[in-house]
Amino acid sequence: MSLPPVGLAHYLILAALLFAMGLFAVITRRHAIGVLLGIELMLNAANINLVAFNRYGPLAESADGQVFALMVIALAACEAAVGLALIIRLYQTLATVEPDDAASMKW
Amino acid sequence: MTWLGLSPEQLLEYVGFLLVAGVSLVSALGVLFAPRVLHAAVWLLFALLGVAGVFALLGAHVLFAVQVLVYAGAIAVMIIFAVVLLERGTDRGILAGNRHLFAGVVAAGAFAVVVVPSLVATVVTVGLPASAGPGPTVQENVWVIGRLFLTRHILAFELISVVLLVSMIGAIVLARADRRGEAEETVAPGTGDPEPAPEAAEEAKAS
Repeated sequence: MSLPPVGLAHYLILAALLFAMGLFAVITRRHAIGVLLGIELMLNAANINLVAFNRYGPLAESADGQVFALMVIALAACEAAVGLALIIRLYQTLATVEPDDAASMKW
Repeated sequence: MTWLGLSPEQLLEYVGFLLVAGVSLVSALGVLFAPRVLHAAVWLLFALLGVAGVFALLGAHVLFAVQVLVYAGAIAVMIIFAVVLLERGTDRGILAGNRHLFAGVVAAGAFAVVVVPSLVATVVTVGLPASAGPGPTVQENVWVIGRLFLTRHILAFELISVVLLVSMIGAIVLARADRRGEAEETVAPGTGDPEPAPEAAEEAKAS
């Protein structure tokens, strides 16, 4: 029996599993910050994909994928700041942190 | 000398990969199923550190440092801070009586069931690159990324700073409670205690 050495597929499968778990958290978490945590997991899965393709792709020397991942991290910081501000605002105005309760603009 | 068909270096890489992948996945499970959001946020911290380990394995030294400093150090701590600000008996478990549970299982399960087997099938039939040669050293990685940021990606680099500034101002404007005209509705003046407006709370209960 022989194992395949660690390659691109290993990282892609890890990223796919992390993404699926983030998606599950986004849909099922009832606390708005829990939804935010799921989004962070999904962004991290996407970053793993970017860096893994950069490492194993034909342009491994140029590190463009890592620059993309750094941009994603910066945008994730923006998203977390604005999202947390929105959640705090939601709590101040509606006294709830559950996304289901803030449904007055839904229909 | 080989073991399971792997050279010692490959074996070491395999062990490292299993370690960081295990940390990431187990911590992600904690993010999913921790009953309290505060615990889920702490699990997210460990998941982010696991992903940082993945970056280190992939030879992305700069990203490893940024992940630890910015993600685990700043974003996770900011989220934990917000949870502590908000957490007042608002937690309920994720599983009990959750009407989104079925949708979540279907969506995430469908994603995993479609993507993972298709990846495995791709590896079996076409084959993905399995070895990438030696990774860059720390100096090379820092040099390459710094150079890319100031040459090919300079426009994105400048724009991202504008985006950061805008989101910072937006977060301050959104989170500030005592805006003129609304101060009496949301915050009792003088107390500083963010009591919600009674009619808003009633609307939230009624809907």
